[in-house]
Amino acid sequence: MTLLQMKGISKRFGSLVANDGIDLSVNSGEIHALMGENGAGKSTLMNILYGLLKPDAGEIRIDGKAMDFASPLGAIAAGVGMVHQTFRQFPDLTVWENLVFQNEPGQGPFVSAAAARDVVRQLGEKHGLEIDPDSRVRDLAVGIRQRLEILKALSRQAKVLILDEPTAVLTPQERDSLFTAMRHLASKGMALILVTHKIPEVIAVTDEITVMRDGRVSGTLTTRETSEAEIIRAMVGRNVPPTVATKVTSTAQPMLSVRNLSVRRGGVAVVDDVSFDVRPGEIVGIAGVSGNGQPQLISAVAGLEASTGEVVIAGRNVSGLSIADRRAVGISYVPEDRHLTGTAPAASIAENIAFGTHRTAAVARYGFLRKQAIRTQAHKLIEQFKVKAASEQVPIGSLSGGNMQKVVIAREIEHGSPLIVIEEPTRGVDVGAIEFIHKTLIAERDKGRAILVVSSDLTELLALSDRILVMFEGRIDASLSGKDMNEATIGRWMMGGAAGA
Amino acid sequence: MTGVGLETRSRFAAILLSIVVAVVLGGLVVLSTGANPISVYQEIVRGALLGRGLDETLSRSVPLIGMGLAAAIAFRAGLINLGGDGQMLVGGLAAALVALYVPAPGAVRAVLALMAAICAGGLYAWIAAVLQLGLAIPFLITSLLLSYIARGVTSYLVRYPLRDPSTGMPETYRVASAARLPNSIFDLPISVGMLIMAAVAVAVIVNDKHGVNGFEWRMTGLNPRFAGYSGTNLQRQTQRVAFLSGALAGLVGALLILGQQYRFTDGALLAPGYTWSGLMAAVLAMASPIATVVTAAFFAALQVGGFSMERALGLPAVLTWVLQALIILCLAARPVFFKRR
Amino acid sequence: MLNMLLSQVLDLMTPVLLAAMAGTLCERAGVFNIALEGKMLVGAFAAVAASIAFGSPMLAVLFAVACTVIFASPLALGGARFGGDPIVIGIGLNLLAAGLTTYLLSALFGVTGTLVDPAVTALPRFGIGALAGLPVLGAIVDGHNLLVYLSWLLVLVLNIYLFRTRWGLRLRGIGEVPSAAAAMGANVNRYQTAIVLLAGALCGLAGAQLALGSVALFAENMTAGRGWIAVVAVMLGRAHPLGIALACFGFGLADAIGLRLQGQGLPNQITDIAPYAITLLAMIGLGLRGAMRKIRNT
Repeated sequence: MTLLQMKGISKRFGSLVANDGIDLSVNSGEIHALMGENGAGKSTLMNILYGLLKPDAGEIRIDGKAMDFASPLGAIAAGVGMVHQTFRQFPDLTVWENLVFQNEPGQGPFVSAAAARDVVRQLGEKHGLEIDPDSRVRDLAVGIRQRLEILKALSRQAKVLILDEPTAVLTPQERDSLFTAMRHLASKGMALILVTHKIPEVIAVTDEITVMRDGRVSGTLTTRETSEAEIIRAMVGRNVPPTVATKVTSTAQPMLSVRNLSVRRGGVAVVDDVSFDVRPGEIVGIAGVSGNGQPQLISAVAGLEASTGEVVIAGRNVSGLSIADRRAVGISYVPEDRHLTGTAPAASIAENIAFGTHRTAAVARYGFLRKQAIRTQAHKLIEQFKVKAASEQVPIGSLSGGNMQKVVIAREIEHGSPLIVIEEPTRGVDVGAIEFIHKTLIAERDKGRAILVVSSDLTELLALSDRILVMFEGRIDASLSGKDMNEATIGRWMMGGAAGA
Repeated sequence: MTGVGLETRSRFAAILLSIVVAVVLGGLVVLSTGANPISVYQEIVRGALLGRGLDETLSRSVPLIGMGLAAAIAFRAGLINLGGDGQMLVGGLAAALVALYVPAPGAVRAVLALMAAICAGGLYAWIAAVLQLGLAIPFLITSLLLSYIARGVTSYLVRYPLRDPSTGMPETYRVASAARLPNSIFDLPISVGMLIMAAVAVAVIVNDKHGVNGFEWRMTGLNPRFAGYSGTNLQRQTQRVAFLSGALAGLVGALLILGQQYRFTDGALLAPGYTWSGLMAAVLAMASPIATVVTAAFFAALQVGGFSMERALGLPAVLTWVLQALIILCLAARPVFFKRR
Repeated sequence: MLNMLLSQVLDLMTPVLLAAMAGTLCERAGVFNIALEGKMLVGAFAAVAASIAFGSPMLAVLFAVACTVIFASPLALGGARFGGDPIVIGIGLNLLAAGLTTYLLSALFGVTGTLVDPAVTALPRFGIGALAGLPVLGAIVDGHNLLVYLSWLLVLVLNIYLFRTRWGLRLRGIGEVPSAAAAMGANVNRYQTAIVLLAGALCGLAGAQLALGSVALFAENMTAGRGWIAVVAVMLGRAHPLGIALACFGFGLADAIGLRLQGQGLPNQITDIAPYAITLLAMIGLGLRGAMRKIRNT
């Protein structure tokens, strides 16, 4: 029975056609994958379904009734729920306050906390998604916070549940329990839409697949009857070979040596006595569920965060040195969030490239900027890294995610440091750029640079790394290489290791 | 998203539109009190630009540009300095004290007085910066609270220990003519204050456009996290920028004391409201130093025109203050005019 | 003696308390409101002007509220609704208030400095009947005007509103993560706009209390930084109405003690800075505590 039907949905933003006559229908009891690269129009389509955007044309039917959502409120009332990639939660409020927000039980103006707590408990028991109603959301693990998002949708009687890249932040085990919950919800007659670009999970959990490309539907497939290659073809219109680097073993003197490094926050060691080496000519990956100290570890290595223990770069102890001095000794760093940390989005590409080396002779002389040199260098890097930009003078924030990331990586590689630390090299980056970035990193490795990669995408780490370290609760308990470097083993270590090892 | 050229153009359009809307709204205020807005605006323009008005506009531009740039350099680096009044007061008092009591030849005394004012104003702003860095108290609030404290303390000092008993006013003794800054050079209508301020303006503009430091400050203002990640010492930079902003305010205080008022009179430095006009000029210029010079001069002309209008029509000159505030409000609310899609 | 001092504190702190409650609402709604000073000044002027026009203190208060609500609309519309910078708008409003009141004072009443008029009378004071017989407290609480009592009632009402009602819950959510609240179907714009206007109304009461509470006059810039003290009080009280009330009480006390010392012959330039110095010291104290805790934790 068709529960949700979207027909001929079109939406344009200025000259950009984000959705062009999209059809999507999902049956009751079905898990439907919505796939496509970044910018293919998935988010636009889902935002239309959730009432955040109004379509220019097309109709939405739920249970056969035509819908016209003026806002998410209308969509929620019609039974559409959405678990966003970035949770729509209030960290300072409690679980029950988050759950009943805009849907509060109680009399007159007053909220009944007791009734709200009951809702949390009952829904949790019914669907196997228990949470303590009085916890503050900021204290919860990511998996639990996602649970809260699903509960929120369920508490509003959702019939159609959209999950937007839900596994990006989960361990393999958490992912599996999410899939179990999804199947349970489908068995109760709900229609689930899984927005993702990860093919293995589509194969694992979905029934039907809709693939989008450039604002159009480029394929409707039935999971049982299709193959990975067919899905990829529909997504990119060509066959992309996965870039898997030839694995190497480096025996050179370590370029980066971390010894007994700890970072404390409010009495808790978020990085706990960590030691490891990265040698020239190898890529070392750090795996782990988010929230286990990876960003703090990297910040401590780069000098952004105070720590105890030793960091030695190129044979020199940099533990007491500032960020600037560490950079001078030989570290380049591509941070996780290019908008918040990696760039000044309002400044031009050229300025973003020059900044950081602006006190060196290549960029400035006698305290004044060499503007021509800055532009020339930026122009060169744009060509070399195939960045799609009108000129080096446009604000870097106007570029797409992939192009922005290329600029950041280009800048850090251009510094010529022997050590490159890179967080989430391809998050929010389209397939074409992913390939380019991976090849670039492997080429830099082969030139003899030491590279440390942190990524929440296990497939990426497995493709790139010669060695993988797994972080759990601030510690590094496992260094895996060779045939130990596989998803199952890494997944066990990500959960603490003891159970499976 | 558009190229840089168009950005500048739409910014310029926004500023012009704000001025037009403010003039219309200000006209309504005038109408509501039963006067004729057309003749009011005529008088303002005439008074600002014709005859002696132009000289007055020039001399009023000096402190206004100074306070505008003081606000602008802080804005650029992401600091909002609301404490210009306090910094100007301690600078002005320091200049007066050195000029009055340091035993040195006149010109040397004037130079020492200027330096003392720069240091005093800078340090006063620096205190607020240190409180923000060390104790996480917002600079915006502290700088302002410190102004109220400076106002009380200087007022007390010139009323009691430092008072010249021969006048009926709460003020210090007069600075000897040798230690004053000449009001004209080579018989031209150019004062030493103007020259100093011109030099400061050029330095600020060049540093902003071409200097390594200016580049670092500007990028910090755009994204402090990016600046920190790229190796900028944010703590030191905040202290420096706060010091320089305060130092410039202190310098303005000194130029007013040594070049126009010749003694520190309670309330005299703050009465014209240079700090707030300068702040508004910097906001209107969106913190670009070169544009701040233009907007500050524009506000100076507006105020001079206001006084002339008051003399001619008997309407309060403070109307120009209303106009300035309206321009800023229109500009701040410009997303209303420029709503896209 | 102490009774009289504390009774005076209640009078002195009321404008700051009312403005701080306005600031609390805005803070909780996620709009940084630094225009409290200007709005209070407009309220004070409107209250005095309306007293002269209508001769009724009640109408004067209502007129003050109406004026400040209108005056708050640029922040409500430009800041909350259309994404203008609330700090810039706040600065603009403060300056507009200073200019406009001075201009109108001169253009309408032909006065510079201070406006005193026989038609301007202070708000009537009320006895609290039998409660006045209570030991200590009775004498402190007895004999204030309606706005003083209202301000304390408001503290309690806001506390209940924020932490017990559905609208308060929504407001806290909106203030913390507006995008999340919008995604959950809350009308962020409407909430913020309404709250900023309501805060404007409270500032009108604050201004009326300032002009018609203890004195019955309007003076240029008579707010003299009280709006800023209210902004600081919101920070010190961490946007909790009870904490903020406590902070406001501290400022009222500093103010009252300053006035006493002035009576003892201390120059008023020094006593005038007491509230600002206390405010700054309180912030430093709080900052030191935070810094100490940080050090202990590492």
